[in-house]
Amino acid sequence: MTAALTQGLERIPDQLGYLVISDDGVLASAGELENDEHTAGVVMQMVRTACRFRLRGAAEPPFKRMTVMFDDYVYVVTVSGQKVFVVKRQNIQREPVNV
Amino acid sequence: MMESVLEQHLEDTMKSPGTLGVLCTDQQGLSLGCRGSLSDEHGGAVSVLSKQAASLTRDPTDPTPTVCLESDSGNILIRTHGTITVAVHKMS
Repeated sequence: MTAALTQGLERIPDQLGYLVISDDGVLASAGELENDEHTAGVVMQMVRTACRFRLRGAAEPPFKRMTVMFDDYVYVVTVSGQKVFVVKRQNIQREPVNV
Repeated sequence: MMESVLEQHLEDTMKSPGTLGVLCTDQQGLSLGCRGSLSDEHGGAVSVLSKQAASLTRDPTDPTPTVCLESDSGNILIRTHGTITVAVHKMS
């Protein structure tokens, strides 16, 4: 069951860790997010807040993907089938090309 | 006077290509001004999301993060600058 949940997450490039969360708690975790209950709790709160964010006339759901960007890393969050998937990725800053 | 400066910034932001809406809120979620698709009622969620995102890091030297909500109706970018949180709705 857990292997099927995380198969795709393992292959994400520049992935530093991931969490799979349901209303009952953390279902799977790895890397820098292994057993990270703090991050799981904050992300669940953010998903609930973001779900209340509705633009007039916009289709459901209010978001397909939520990203939280820090200088060195980024959390990418999606909701699928009553589960919240969180991936921590390296934030590779691309320098502007000067021609 | 200060209010007219903010209003001018909101107008200028709306002129930037692909911008659908803009909102400024204080730390309590009270909207200070908005334009386009974002309205006063969004102030609470915007300010709370930014606060929750900041608590994802335990390193106090980390600068405040940017939150992005992506959907079919565009991207909403949220970031706190000092005591003001700004949200910009852009076409994706």
